[in-house]
Amino acid sequence: MQEQAERGAFEFYGAWREYAPIAFTNLLLTIVTLGIYNFWGRTRTRQYLWSRTRFIDDRLEWTGTGRELLLGYIVVVVLVFVPVAGLNLLVGALAMRGTPEGAAAAGLLFFGLYLFLFLLGGVAIFRALRYRLSRTYWHGIRGGSDDQGFRYGLSYLWRMMLGSAAFGLLVPWALVTLWNERWNAMSFGPYPFRSGASSDGLMRRYLLFYLLPVALVIGGIVAVALSLWFGVTPQTAPGPVAPPLFLIVGFFVFYLLFLALFGLISLSFYAAYFRQAIGALTLGHLEFEFTARTKDWLKLMLGTVALVVCTLGIGSIFIGYRNWAFFIRHLRAYGTLDLEQFTQSDTRAPGQGEGLFDSLDMGAF
Amino acid sequence: METRVWHYDGRSGERRMPVLVPSADERRFTLQGDGADPGPYAFADLEPHGTSHHERAFGLKGRPGWRITFLEFPPSEIAVQLPKPARYGAWIDRFGLWRSAGVLAILAVLVVAFTLKLPPLLARLVPQSVEQRMGRLIVGNLGTYACASPQGDAALKALGARLRQDGDVTIRVVHAPMINAVAFPGGQVVLFDGLIQNAKSPDEVAGVLAHELGHVAHRDGMEALIRQYGLQLLLGGFDGNVSGYGNALLNARYSRKAEAGADGYAIGRLQAANISPLPTAALFARLAEQDAQPGNAAVMMTYLSSHPLSTAREQAFRASAKPGAAYKPALSPEQWQALRAMCGDSPATAP
Repeated sequence: MQEQAERGAFEFYGAWREYAPIAFTNLLLTIVTLGIYNFWGRTRTRQYLWSRTRFIDDRLEWTGTGRELLLGYIVVVVLVFVPVAGLNLLVGALAMRGTPEGAAAAGLLFFGLYLFLFLLGGVAIFRALRYRLSRTYWHGIRGGSDDQGFRYGLSYLWRMMLGSAAFGLLVPWALVTLWNERWNAMSFGPYPFRSGASSDGLMRRYLLFYLLPVALVIGGIVAVALSLWFGVTPQTAPGPVAPPLFLIVGFFVFYLLFLALFGLISLSFYAAYFRQAIGALTLGHLEFEFTARTKDWLKLMLGTVALVVCTLGIGSIFIGYRNWAFFIRHLRAYGTLDLEQFTQSDTRAPGQGEGLFDSLDMGAF
Repeated sequence: METRVWHYDGRSGERRMPVLVPSADERRFTLQGDGADPGPYAFADLEPHGTSHHERAFGLKGRPGWRITFLEFPPSEIAVQLPKPARYGAWIDRFGLWRSAGVLAILAVLVVAFTLKLPPLLARLVPQSVEQRMGRLIVGNLGTYACASPQGDAALKALGARLRQDGDVTIRVVHAPMINAVAFPGGQVVLFDGLIQNAKSPDEVAGVLAHELGHVAHRDGMEALIRQYGLQLLLGGFDGNVSGYGNALLNARYSRKAEAGADGYAIGRLQAANISPLPTAALFARLAEQDAQPGNAAVMMTYLSSHPLSTAREQAFRASAKPGAAYKPALSPEQWQALRAMCGDSPATAP
């Protein structure tokens, strides 16, 4: 029986100097193998990060292998990408035929293909999470899921479609319900994860994010109209040279401001989403919390940009390390875990890695 | 001294701290005390699970989650039985990091070199019939610009015959001011009217035509397309992107080697046909010179950019001339007139 104090259930005690030899040899070997070593390199990175992550009284352990990542990748290329490429060529051939039937068939096929790839994206997110849990051991116990993720793929498809269809206003709802669905299918040891997040508190930030461009466009039009109304008549005298330069600089500043503000607002939505989603997650009698606020995310992002720019790109090999450290340092757990009842997971461990996820190039969580 | 280990059995999350006791033959061990399943277990079944040599954690083959972790360095009779932790991966650990990286780097260079060599190899594999169909499709696209007159066609035919073109080559003239000539796949050679109008003698046209016939013979056009479009071209059927392929070839930059090969071919053909190579050399020199004048740049660019000139190339043609040889003009004056008049007398070359 373990009682956890407010802080310290999770701790990351890695050091970048300790990780650097791993990162640089991964880079070297990835280059000389024309990218193939990447699968083994990622495995080594995770082994390191997991082994430097303590939960309560013991470290996590990553048991995935490079071989299964490679296998997953090959499976996806053969089963998904080759057929999709073939269908794509068929679409092209149909469209080139020039007949209305051909064009209709091509359009239909293209739409079907698009839906299929979207669905695969959902399946990929699910299966990557499942793979990661099934390869994560703590106290000799692992996680996993009995679900294959195809139902989740369907759910992902219709929820995201519906979310975007309502002028994008239901996107927070789609994100949160999908988070719940995904985690409710996962387990660790004998305990299922339970997630009951709601999108209630998110709407305010999302509306800000959503309305900013609209507000700025209206504001811009009003500003231009006002300047025309008041500005043009007296300014015809000084000559036509001044206004264009002024306008261009003004527009540029306006654009930069817009980008910064938009980035900040989307970051604040993202931060709130993560806090809410992880905060609603439980495992047995454990509850989780994620403490990163917008400010923390901003620091992470600016730090990463500075790292990459100042090292002319080489620093990007540390991005995964930074993200993991950030994630663990802001993760909290409360409650109790009964080790006597904490028995091995009886979920079926997937045979291969996150190939779908890799090849669709999607981020974690 | 007894050796205590942290132990998880992979069934429950409870940590036990049994004593690890080696058997008499030191091949096996038992875990004694603290409620652990005593075993025995074989040292040979242990799998390293630490990420560095500081961490002495081991799993057991066929028992996911089963772990023992030595809290301090184990006594030597146990240590020698323990498998070494993997570091970079089994193969690389065996040969060492630097040696593996060296060997892999050499392999990588070979693979890249082979991939670059692939287009000419693949071009040779495309069946002639497919290539011809493709060439017809592309040139058919130029249809509206094609020039034709009975005398002009006869002159073209005569020129082709002197250069000993094979039966599979079709030569056409199109109405366009650019000083250019292109060899499309399937033996479809297109001469731009700008080239003919700019030429000072039929021998110059013969030289350029022979050069393009060299590209045809070496299948350089197919190679250029495979280079640019790769798998899409080979898998997609050729009808998909006809105008795209045509454009790609118009702007194709062949390798220096392909150009030198076509030049060599052209020199050989001119020699066999008893046509002087000197006008062709002069044409190259003139094009380079005119290009240096800003006003003409736009017109000249096309030919120059797709056929990177060098004095070496000009000299190759010049050097192939045999002193005292009795060269015959490529076309008779009447034939030459007919060829020049093929696209009507609209001023194709304005300057």
